[in-house]
Amino acid sequence: MKGINLDKLKNEGVKTLASKERRQFLKFGLTVTGVFLGGSILSLTSAQKAQGALRNGIVPVGKFPYKPHYTMVVRQGHCIDCELCLEACRSTNSVPTYGHRTTILERSIPDAAGQQERAFMPILCNHCNQASCVRVCPTGATFKDKTNGIVRMDPKKCIGCKTCMAACPYNARYYKEEDRAIDKCNFCFDTKLKESGGKTTACCAACPAGVRVFGDLTDPETEAYKLIHTPGNVFWVLKPETGNLSNIFYMDA
Amino acid sequence: MTFYTKTDTSTLPPMNQILIFVALTLICVVGLSFGLHTMLVGHHHTLGTTREVPWGLLITPYVFFACLSTGLCMISSLGQVFGINTFKPLVTRTVFLSLIAMAAGLLCIALEIETPWRVGFYALFSPQPFSNIWWKATIYSLFTVFTICNFLLLMTKREKIARAFATIAIVLVTIGNLNMNSDMELLGSRGFWSEGYMPLYFLSLSALTGCAAILLFSWISSLLNEQIPQNQKNTALQATGKLFWFLLLGIFYFTVVKIMGGFIPKFSNNPEAMALLVRGDFARNFWIGEVVLAVLLPLALISLTKGKNVIALALAGLSCLIGAFILFYDLVIVGQLVPHFQHYNVVDLPKYYSYTPTMHEIMISVGIIFFFLAAFIFGEMLFKKIYSPE
Repeated sequence: MKGINLDKLKNEGVKTLASKERRQFLKFGLTVTGVFLGGSILSLTSAQKAQGALRNGIVPVGKFPYKPHYTMVVRQGHCIDCELCLEACRSTNSVPTYGHRTTILERSIPDAAGQQERAFMPILCNHCNQASCVRVCPTGATFKDKTNGIVRMDPKKCIGCKTCMAACPYNARYYKEEDRAIDKCNFCFDTKLKESGGKTTACCAACPAGVRVFGDLTDPETEAYKLIHTPGNVFWVLKPETGNLSNIFYMDA
Repeated sequence: MTFYTKTDTSTLPPMNQILIFVALTLICVVGLSFGLHTMLVGHHHTLGTTREVPWGLLITPYVFFACLSTGLCMISSLGQVFGINTFKPLVTRTVFLSLIAMAAGLLCIALEIETPWRVGFYALFSPQPFSNIWWKATIYSLFTVFTICNFLLLMTKREKIARAFATIAIVLVTIGNLNMNSDMELLGSRGFWSEGYMPLYFLSLSALTGCAAILLFSWISSLLNEQIPQNQKNTALQATGKLFWFLLLGIFYFTVVKIMGGFIPKFSNNPEAMALLVRGDFARNFWIGEVVLAVLLPLALISLTKGKNVIALALAGLSCLIGAFILFYDLVIVGQLVPHFQHYNVVDLPKYYSYTPTMHEIMISVGIIFFFLAAFIFGEMLFKKIYSPE
């Protein structure tokens, strides 16, 4: 599948901010992923509707498929790759050494001066609104929680066909031998999330730099909500071209 | 007191067929025992699949035999459902081959998944109607039941009812085949095969492998029984040869499209995978397997003999089947080798993931292939008179 390689696009300077490519990127990336104009979240909105809103200068009020609608904001620029989040995830959720629910990728991004800028990109299940893994599972072993939108597993139903692993665009699943089933991030649904009364996950709690910010998109009091609704904040999601409608939002600062 | 009765030895199959059957069954058992071992100790310890490449070699025999079964069902339906007289002499053997091909495919997928014992219960009591896999499993299971009924009815000469079952079977297996494509297409989230031509490609490949199998196994049957195909059967085989030739031309067209996708990115939805296939590490598979063995050699053999030489037709069929197996292997593996975050400048991310089949995977595949061959010989021994009533 052809992705958008932003690094190869020509730097057009500030005079050409409204270039076709940029508008296309904004239209495609932001509307598909549900983040629009640094404010409203419309996870299921179509591109056409969002464009219409832009034209009229109206920021539509967000409607969320779930309540609470759990999300995570990843402040990529803060990550120092200390891996405390990975350790917390392992110990909290009994993740074996051969697998992982979350990981951190190191990126080397070319900047305008021709230098390479290093960045660390935490990766976890994106709890997509239109999750490929849920769509392909033949027995409903992996499913979207109807209340909170978390993509969860029912291990006893898993037949181990691994189609969900093949379908996941984020490589967020692995086969757990002990359960004879697929295992994945569930926002610590049965562990830390339960203990904290729905406030945080093990990785968020362990992060010393506040990289991972867990929250509820329907609750204006959560930090994630505030970050997403702060005008001027720019977000992106991973692999928007897959149309999975991710609920993990990345930002630089 | 009589403990046994002397049987008429003339009704027993020839000793050479029995020996071949025993030899094939033994190899099958050895192969499948690797599958049993895998099931007991877990795939993690025996298969070459990984988190990044979760589908390995074992998907190939499954797709191959499911498509082969589809193709055989299509060809048998030409005589049985659509009433084309030319193909009628081939119907019974073709229905049996279609049945055992599907059985081989289902056996393979049962060994490929980690916990097959959960399938029956949860597919029934926790169905997921949005899942192509669920539909495929359901449709292929139904197809197997209908084809067994069809074959039993053919054996008992109830041809009208058999035709009704065959009609349902051909509808089911065609839907199943299109579902197979949808599986792959859905995995477009990882840059798999989502080309627009895929549904037609899958159906054409199925028909092609069906023709190839009929030509090959009819010839092997004539060798085993030391009988030259008689007039009607010979005409049927030559007609199948002609159909085979036209299908080869069709597949050649699709192969050219693949080649174009491999060299010119704009012709493909997944240029990285196509490049790997056509001019990367899989180029040998592609050019020797998919181009020469699957298409060009069979085309040349049929063209040179004008489709009238049964041996040439059988060799063309064998070559095509080997090529098609390689083609399905490429189809399953190559798309998975494109890394998830390839456009994200990730440090130390390989250009492509790697996958190598393990001894267990190879032996299980061998076991499945020999299961099909042993079942074919079994059919030759048991249903000889039904295959050739004249």
